[in-house]
Amino acid sequence: MEVDRRAFIASLGGVAAVNLMDHEAKAEALEHYMEEKLDEMVAGQQPEKFPTVAEIEAQITTRPYRRGAGDVFTGRGQNVKILEKMPDKPTLQDFFRLRFAPANHVLQSATRAMKTGMSEEIILACLLHDCVLSLIKPDHGWWGAQLFEPYIPEKSAFAIRYHQTLRFYADDDAGYEYPDQYYRIFGHDYQPPQYIADTYKMLKNHKWYMEPRLVTVNDLYAFDPNAKVSIEPFEDIIGRHFKQPKEGLGYDNSSSAHMWRTLARPDNPL
Amino acid sequence: MFKTLLVGSSFAVLLAVVASGQAAGKAQPLPGLDATVTKVERAASASLRDCPPGTNTVNAVTRPGEQFALVTVSFKVSSSFKSAPMKRPTVTDTADKKYNTASTFVDVGSVPEYSCTFPFRVPEGTKLKSLQIESSSLDLSALEPK
Repeated sequence: MEVDRRAFIASLGGVAAVNLMDHEAKAEALEHYMEEKLDEMVAGQQPEKFPTVAEIEAQITTRPYRRGAGDVFTGRGQNVKILEKMPDKPTLQDFFRLRFAPANHVLQSATRAMKTGMSEEIILACLLHDCVLSLIKPDHGWWGAQLFEPYIPEKSAFAIRYHQTLRFYADDDAGYEYPDQYYRIFGHDYQPPQYIADTYKMLKNHKWYMEPRLVTVNDLYAFDPNAKVSIEPFEDIIGRHFKQPKEGLGYDNSSSAHMWRTLARPDNPL
Repeated sequence: MFKTLLVGSSFAVLLAVVASGQAAGKAQPLPGLDATVTKVERAASASLRDCPPGTNTVNAVTRPGEQFALVTVSFKVSSSFKSAPMKRPTVTDTADKKYNTASTFVDVGSVPEYSCTFPFRVPEGTKLKSLQIESSSLDLSALEPK
């Protein structure tokens, strides 16, 4: 999608207003602007031209980082910032504040799950399902489940692990459409690899199929600058279902403690 | 006797007319929630925004041989409306086949008046007969392109 720079700056209130914004705010404003333009295109029934897998692969050497690098390891085209030090015994809320922030996507997904009457296990899964993207992006369902598994209900971990697979498969009855965003980021001719197809086959007959499916139903590409989302409405659910280790996340010798430590100290060279 | 029957059956017909009149693109799916179908269109792609429109910006595109039937409904919420989770609406075509939408009702009572467009993935050429919201049925045939 081409962006009219002048129109974009004007939409933000002019150059002076843009100069007051930090890089993150500018990136988010641009994302929002592009989504609005996309909606206009949809409304105007002008089909967007999606890239092919080959076109997306051709972009690999145009970036100084790999697409799969977690958000704490890249500056999205800018130099990375100094990260605030984590407390000695960090909690999930500390990670939300200091490493997953702004976390709008997961907070909005969990808010929607709450408003549509989902179970607490599903709301928790929605809240956590993409947090691992701060660490790593490929196979984020499996990585995410591994990160949280020692601390959350089995159903929530199952939902996090397999939402990645179900994202590729529409489910008319559950109200899940294949998102056009996937045509944009994977290519319109993309075919999920065999292990994803095999996992989908397994899930279709699994008694917990609906757990990850409900995460996909609430997995929104949401950006609303006016949306007031915070972790506060989920404090009780976290309290009931997240087993916060007394030593702090990263220091409890769990199977994923090293992952939390990596998130806490992404600038360590080794 | 015959006269009583005649009056009785006329009354029944009158009731049926009133009921179907209510179903002609207009209904009250829940107490305090008025719904009116304002438009039925076709498109190759569709926004899957929630209803009322919120922060969901997912879009979907059709595959060959399909199209989206976009049914726009305006809603009015009065003070008697009691907020409750609502099922996703469905549409029925002229052959009585049912289609689902991925658009979801979220926080229906949060805004007094709004309009929502529900996309239904249907085979090309499908003619819609009615829209179902909760237990109400709204007639679509008059709004379908001829």
